[in-house]
This record gives sequence, structure tokens and C-alpha cells, in this order.
Amino acid sequence: MDILVSSVVAGVLIGMVLALVALGLTIIFGVMDIVNFAHGEFLMLGMYTGLLTADATGMDPLLGIPVAAVVGYLLGIACYWGFIRFLLRGPMVAQLLGTFGLMLLLRNLALLLFGSEDRGVNAGLLVGKSVAFGMGVIVPATKLAAAALSLVSFAAVWLLMNRTRVGKALTATALNAQAARYMGIPTERMNALAWGIGGATVTVAGALIVNFWSVNPYVGLLFTMIAFTIVALGGFGSVPGALAAGIVVGLLMEIPGIWDFVAYATEWDWMMDVPVTSFKYTFVYLAYFVIMVVRPRGLFGWKH
Amino acid sequence: MEALRAAFDFSDFRPTERWVSRAVAAFLLVFPLLPVSSFATATMIQFLMFSLYGMGWNTIGGYGGQVDLGKAQYVGIGAYTTAVALIRWDVPFWVSMPVGMGFAVLWSFAIGYPLFRLRGHYFAIATIAASLVLKDLFEVWDFVGAARGLEIPAHRFATPDFVRLIFKEDVYYYYVLLAFFFGGVLYMNAFRKSRLGYQLRLIKDNEDMARSLGINVHWAKVKTYAIATAFVSMVGSFHACYIKNIEPEDTMSLDLSILIALMAMLGGAGSLWGPIIGAGILIPLKSYFKEWFGARAGLVGMDLILYALIIMVVSAVEPRGIWGLVERHRARRESA
Repeated sequence: MDILVSSVVAGVLIGMVLALVALGLTIIFGVMDIVNFAHGEFLMLGMYTGLLTADATGMDPLLGIPVAAVVGYLLGIACYWGFIRFLLRGPMVAQLLGTFGLMLLLRNLALLLFGSEDRGVNAGLLVGKSVAFGMGVIVPATKLAAAALSLVSFAAVWLLMNRTRVGKALTATALNAQAARYMGIPTERMNALAWGIGGATVTVAGALIVNFWSVNPYVGLLFTMIAFTIVALGGFGSVPGALAAGIVVGLLMEIPGIWDFVAYATEWDWMMDVPVTSFKYTFVYLAYFVIMVVRPRGLFGWKH
Repeated sequence: MEALRAAFDFSDFRPTERWVSRAVAAFLLVFPLLPVSSFATATMIQFLMFSLYGMGWNTIGGYGGQVDLGKAQYVGIGAYTTAVALIRWDVPFWVSMPVGMGFAVLWSFAIGYPLFRLRGHYFAIATIAASLVLKDLFEVWDFVGAARGLEIPAHRFATPDFVRLIFKEDVYYYYVLLAFFFGGVLYMNAFRKSRLGYQLRLIKDNEDMARSLGINVHWAKVKTYAIATAFVSMVGSFHACYIKNIEPEDTMSLDLSILIALMAMLGGAGSLWGPIIGAGILIPLKSYFKEWFGARAGLVGMDLILYALIIMVVSAVEPRGIWGLVERHRARRESA
């Protein structure tokens, strides 16, 4: 029983963090219909920012989060003004391949600057500690803190989008860019802002994840695919959808744990022989495939 | 018969284009006779392979406008069919290649049938997801060697072996592939003038209009996807015999899928010459960049950084690719 409960708890916690990873992608897509293949690379840079800030200052890795947010914001804005702006004029093919080029560039710059070996955080306030909840459920403190801070970031973005003038302008741009321009909203700057917010949220997620996940320059692609799945499930452009879908995807990634529980509980030998841990991420890709075929709008999608 | 005549009929191209293409064809025929290094020959083989991949992609991605980023799974199906058949049952290449194409086409129906209801980004990402699922399956499937992959024991066969396509010298591979390449160009020349070719271009421009004219849009896309798949799987089979050592990471990775799309895009999607121009520029750049920068310490990844910059500049400045630049130049000269 405790395997099942701890799998579910772990799934929900990681799901909240993954939802934050996907949040930036869904905002960017909602505002300007562009799919950013470099999203996972932003996350990777966030992970390095958290790690290197901790290394350089000797502070706790969690204090690298504000630094990561600033770096991500500036990076997002710079990418928009320097590159993405020119892609928006072209056809969709050019957008896909252009952001793919951006992904290759960021990945290999990271390789050049930071080297290819795996690096992780091994000292800190929360590292190595864990919280017991009873029923045999023990959760690493880093994951708990990451999930809690993800929720805080989500709340902040939700407030920004729904309770401020800038957020309303952003939503207006997403709904109908031309009409928003007639109303005097500077849509170009709204696009740049979407990239800034998108970059900041994903680098914050990176700084959270680096506390329990080692980083190398190739880590991005996996997260890009996970983020695509979450965005598809939650509905392209939907903020609450991203949170709900993130938790679902987190649970999908814990299928191997749940599988083990069923295998032991029922003592079915064939289940124990399946190398289900190798398929940890396959379930995520499969989920994307099924969602797109069955319900392309996603759970909460308003844009199609 | 009609189709065969169309395949050899290049009369709707301009005289300069025909002369340049004849010169390129002649150069490709005599290339191995020139005093060139084995590295250059290997690069040329890569160029021919990627031109063929690009031509396959160009049917659905270029003429049809459906961005497919999952072509690598079909490379994998072709390569694995040939390798498994050769290693386990000693089946010759010329038998296993069509069988592999058959498997790939069947799989393409299974993938394409549901996915072609989607448009744009949704379709592109779904093809990636499908490709990654297949790769994960191959990585744990013991019958095909799981993540270690397969190795064709070339030393067991007396070379040159034209039946199994096992050679020691790259020259043989070069000429076999060159025959495929010319076949591919002729096929594409017929394809672009076929009924399906015209239907696809209309679907790309205006899908609703195509439907209102009575074209079965979904079926046209699925058929073209199968054609693209057959091309890619054929080269995949060749890849298995040429490289002799295949694993899921090289034959089915996302990077390969993107590279295939990139070749056609950079050269100019939706034109006969586009994939060839794209491969002709990107492949030599990629191998020579790697040769120059790859070995040098402190410059790891420099080759791919330059490569990425080229992609970014092309997609931002001229999304129709290099052929788009040529056409723009022409239009300006004619209006002047």
C-alpha cells in the first residue's frame, strides 16, 4: 500500500513543478501561436543559473531562484526582439525550424561554457532532508519545497494575468491581436512580455528542479516534450489547464511505481517481467498522441 | 507509360536550370574517379542519402505543406528490417528493402490515419511523439538488440557482395546510391506533375477549397505520407548495409527527423531542386565543421553553434529557403 501512496504523492509533487515548466510554453503559445522548441533549453539554463549562483556565492540553491527569474526574463525578451519577431512574418514551417535552431544554439553554447558532465546540487539547506507523512510516505524536502514554490509562482502569474492592466492587455492580445492593436495596446511589446514571463517561469522551474535532478546540456529535450504534452492536455493557452494537466502528467510518470504495486499485490508474474521503468517517459509521449487524436482542444482549451 | 514520359520530361524548366542539373549529374557520375579523399567520398554518400530523405519529406512537407518531424522512425524501420533479416536469416538486401518499405508503409497508415485530422503545430508535435514512442520500444526490444543495437558481421561475407550489399570500398556504395538518387529525381519529377501532386499543392494553399472541389483531402495526405515513408525507409535499409552498426539512438532520434526536414526547408520546400540544394550545402558544412572544430579542445559544440546560426538566419530572412532567394531574384530581374 505504501508503494502506491508514495508513488501518487511523488507524482503529484513532480507534476506541480512540471506544470510550472509548461506554463511559459502555454502563455507564449496563447499570445502568438508559436511553438517554442527551445523551451527545454531555457529550463536547462535555469538549472545552470541556480547551480552556479549557489556555487559562486556559497548560498543555498533556493536563493538562486530570483537570479534565475531575472536571467530568464532578460533571455526571453532578448530572444523575442533579436530573433522571434522576424519569424512571426514567415510560415509555420519557418517558425518550427527557427525555434529548433534556437534550441541547438542554446544547447551547444551551454556545452561550450559548462562542459558535458552531469552536475548536481549536493549541499544546501534542504538537500538530503526528508519529511515523513506517516503511512510510510517519505518525501524529500527539496521536492516538497519545489512543489510549494511552484504553486506560489502559479498564483503570481494568475494574479498578473487576471488582476492587472498589463495582464488584461496580454489576454486581449491573445484573444485577438488585431482588435487589441486598434484599442491602442502595443501588441509587439505584449509579445515580448509574454516571452519574458515565459522565460522567467521556466527558469524558476529550472532552479527548483536542479535541487533534485542533475543537469547537463542535453537535459532540455525531455522537458520540452513533457511540456508539450502538458500544454496539449491542458489546452493550448490555458493557465489553470496547465496546472491540472501537469499533475496528470506527473502521475503518468509514476506509472512504473503503481505498476509494481499492482504486480506485488496481485502476484501476477507476467507483470513483474515487463521492463516498465524503461517506459517511464513513453507514457507521456503516448498520452500526447492519444490526447491529440481524441480531444485536440485539451481539457480546458479555448483556442483551436 | 504516361507517368514514365512525365518522369523524363524536364522541358518545363528553364534552359539554365537544365544545363546546371546536367552538369551536376555529370559531376556526380565522375566524382569517384577524381583524386578525392575517402572522407570526401563518405561526405558525398551522406549528401546523396540526405537528398533522398529530403525528397521523401518534400512530397508531404513541401508540396503538401504538412510539417512532419517524425521521419526518423521510418529510417529505423527500414534499417532494422534489413539488418535483422540479414543477420538472422541471411535475406539479401534486394528482398529485405521492399519488405522494410512495406512495414514502414503499414506503420505510416497506422500513424497517419488518425494524425491527419490535425493541422499545423499539432500535427508536427504528434509526429515527434509517435517517433519517440517507437524509439523507446526499440530500446527495450531484445529481438532487435535493444539499446545496444545490431551489428552486421561484414567479415562473414566475401566482398564485393552485390546481393547483400556488403562492400569494403565506399565507391560501390556510392554508385548504388547514385542509382537510387537518379531514380528518386525521376520519380519526383513525375510526382510533381501527377494528379496527386496538383491536389497536394491545392491542399497546401487552401484546404477548404480543395475539399469543396471534391478532393478527398484526408486520403490524399495519407497516400502521400506513405510515399514519403517508402522513400525514407528505402534509404534506411541502405543505411543499415552501409554503416553496418545500427542502434535506436542514431537511426531513430529526433535530431535525424529534424535534420531531414531542415535539408528540404533550407534548400526550398516544394520544389524539385530544394532538397538537393539543401543537402548539398548542409552536409558538407556539417562534416567539415565537425572535422575542423570537433577535434580541437575548448571548442566542443562550435560546429553545431555555427550550424544553428545558419538555420536561424535562413528561417528568419527567407523562409522559402535558398530556392526562394533564386526565385525572388528572378522575379526582380523580369519585372525590371
